[in-house]
Amino acid sequence: MDLGYLIAAIMPYVAVAFFVFGLGYKIIFWSKAPVNLHWELFPYPHTVSEQLKEMLTEVFTLRSLYLFNRKFWLPSLMMHYGIYLVVTWLVVLLLGFPFAPYLGMLGGVLALAGSFSLLLLRLFIDEVRKISVPVEYFNLIFIFLLALSSLFTGFLADFQVRFYLLSLFTLKPALSIVANYHVPLLLLELFLIYVPFTRMAHFAVKFFTYHKIKWGELH
Amino acid sequence: MSAAVPQKVFDDYRVLPDEVLKPGQPRVEKFLQAMRKSLQQKENWTFWLPYILSLDTCMKCGTCAEVCPVYQATGRREIYHPVFRADMLRKIYKRYFTLPGRLFPWLVGAEDLTEEKLDALAESVYRCTICRRCSYVCPVAIDNGVIVREARKILDEIGIAPGELKEKGTRLQLKVGNATGMPTAAFLDMVEFLEDEIEETRGYRIKIPVDKEGAEYLLMHNAGDYLAFAETVMGAAEVMHAAGVDWTLNSPNTGINDAVNYGVFYSDVEFSAVIKAHVETARKLGIKKLVVGECGHAFEALKYLILRLIPPEERPFEVISILELEDRWLREGRLKVDPQKNPEPVTFHDSCKLGRLGGMFEEPRRILKACCPDFREMTPNREMSLCCGGGSGFAIMEKGGFLKFRMETYGRLKAEQLKATGAKVVACACSNCKAQFREIINYHKLPMRYAGVSELLANALVR
Repeated sequence: MDLGYLIAAIMPYVAVAFFVFGLGYKIIFWSKAPVNLHWELFPYPHTVSEQLKEMLTEVFTLRSLYLFNRKFWLPSLMMHYGIYLVVTWLVVLLLGFPFAPYLGMLGGVLALAGSFSLLLLRLFIDEVRKISVPVEYFNLIFIFLLALSSLFTGFLADFQVRFYLLSLFTLKPALSIVANYHVPLLLLELFLIYVPFTRMAHFAVKFFTYHKIKWGELH
Repeated sequence: MSAAVPQKVFDDYRVLPDEVLKPGQPRVEKFLQAMRKSLQQKENWTFWLPYILSLDTCMKCGTCAEVCPVYQATGRREIYHPVFRADMLRKIYKRYFTLPGRLFPWLVGAEDLTEEKLDALAESVYRCTICRRCSYVCPVAIDNGVIVREARKILDEIGIAPGELKEKGTRLQLKVGNATGMPTAAFLDMVEFLEDEIEETRGYRIKIPVDKEGAEYLLMHNAGDYLAFAETVMGAAEVMHAAGVDWTLNSPNTGINDAVNYGVFYSDVEFSAVIKAHVETARKLGIKKLVVGECGHAFEALKYLILRLIPPEERPFEVISILELEDRWLREGRLKVDPQKNPEPVTFHDSCKLGRLGGMFEEPRRILKACCPDFREMTPNREMSLCCGGGSGFAIMEKGGFLKFRMETYGRLKAEQLKATGAKVVACACSNCKAQFREIINYHKLPMRYAGVSELLANALVR
C-alpha cells in the first residue's frame, strides 16, 4: 500500500472518525459530569435568545479580546474567520456552489495571516512568551502549515476537490483528483485527529464554561 | 533572641508561617495524593467541571492579566500574572495526571513538583482574592479563581491553611457559634450596649429582639461587625424596627450566630460543615426568612452555593440579603427617608461577592440614591468593579507583612479610584470590604470614611 493511497483513501475516514468520536466522547463525558455548585458570574443572559445573541457575538466578533486585550484581537479574528471560512468552503463546495474556491482561498489566507501574526505576538511580546509552552507554538505552526500548504498546492482553489469529497461518500475515493494535494490533505487529517484531544477543542468547551458554569442555570 | 524572620518562599510576604507551611518537611507525596483525589468526579463533585475545564483549556492569551488588579498594580510582575499562578498547579496536573505530560513533559509545560515549588504555590494562592474579574472577561470563560480555590483545598487537605481562616475561623465558629469567639453572655451585653448607643445617638430606644423563636426574619450578621462595624448592626436594627416587622437576632445559645463561612475561601469540607450548622440553627429557631447582613461571601454561600448542597426540603426558609429588604421597603414606602440627613458625597463599592458573584448591583444603588442626595459612581463599577483586596479572607490576614501587600496592590488601585470620585463616604455592604477600606483610608491617607449601606439608610430614616 503506498503512502498516497493511505492519505487519500484511508486516512480521511480515520480522521473523521477520530474527530467525531473523540469530540463526541469528550462532550458526553463533560455532559455527564456532576453538576457543580452555583458559581455564576453576573450579569448573564437568561433566555435562549439572549444567550444565543451573546454567544454569537463572542464567536463572530471576539468581543472579549476586543474590549480587554486589543493587540490579540485582529490576529485572532483573522485566524478564526479563516477557519470559519474554510468550514463554510467545505459545505458550499459539497453543495456545488461555483464560488466555493474563493471562500476557501480567502479562508486560507486569513488563517495563514492570523496564525502567523499570533505566532509573532507570542514570540515577541515578553509577557505572553513567558506564559507560553512549546505546544502553544506547535498549534499555531500546525495551522500555519496547513493553511500554507493548502494555498500553495491550490487545494482550496480547486473545484474538482468537490468530486473527490463526494467520492469519499461512495467509498470509492477518486484518488487522481488529489494526487497533488497529499501534503495539505495529510495535515488536515492529522489536524482533525489532533483537535479533540487538545485545547483547540475550546469551541466545544465554551458551551460548558459559558452555559453550565458562568451563566449557570439560575433562571 | 530576636524573632525569626520567615524564609522567603515566593515573594516578600509570608501569610503562612513556618508552623503552618512546614518548609523542609516532605509534603510532595501527600500533596499529589490529595490532588489525585481532587481530580476525581466523585471525590470532588462540587467544582469538578469548572476545575477540569479550566486546567485543560487555557489558551494563554493573557486577557485575564489585563484586568487583574494585582498584576496591574505591581507593574505587571510576572509572578502575579494570573496564568503564572494557575500554571503553578497546571504544571503539576500535566506532569502527574495527563498522558501527554507524562510522555512529553517539555512539550506541554509539565513539571515535577518539588518541596520548594510547593512552598511557592501555597503562598501564591494567597495573593489572589478569587475576585473572578479575570473569569468574567476570559474569552473561553476559564476560571483562574476556581484553580486557586482548588489549590487552597488541596493544601488544606495536607494541613496547610491560614490559621485566621481555619483554627480561628471555621473551627472556632463551629465550636462557639461565631468566628470572633464571643460567648452568649458577651453577645447579650453587646446587644444591650447597642441599644444604649442607638438611644444616645437618636434620642429614642428600640428593643433589639434576640433568640425569638418563629420570627418572620432572622437577621444574621458577620459577627465581626458587632466588634468592628457596630454602626452597620445598629443601622440594620433601626431599619428592621422602622419597618415594623417581626424579626430577631440570635445568640450563640441557638447554634451559629455568625453569617460568615470561611470554608468558601479554602475548603468544601469546612464550607459544608458551617452551612449545615447555619441551616440547623435557622430550623431550630423556626424562622421564615434568613436575612444575611452586610457580608459578601456569606450571601454567596447562603444564597447560591447552598442550593445544590442542601436539598430544598431540608432548608424550609427563604434566604434574602438585607439590601434586598431595604430596597423593597423603601420602594413600598414602608421606610421614609430624608436624604438631606446624608449631605456628603457618597460613592458605592461593588463587593465582588455581592456583585459579580451575587448579582446585587441595583439594590444598593437604589437605596443609596434614595438616602444620599449626592451619589457618585466609581469607575469601573458593577461587574467590572475592582476588588478592594479584602476578599477571600485577606481582610483578616496580616501575618508576614501581608497588610503591605494588600495596601500596595489591590488597595492602591482602589485608593486611586476612590480619590477620583471626590466622595467623602464610600459605602459598601461587605465586612471584608469594610475592613479593607478602614486600612486603605488610613494607609493612603484618604480624606473620607467608609460606611455600611444600612448605616446610611438608618441615618436618613424619618420617624
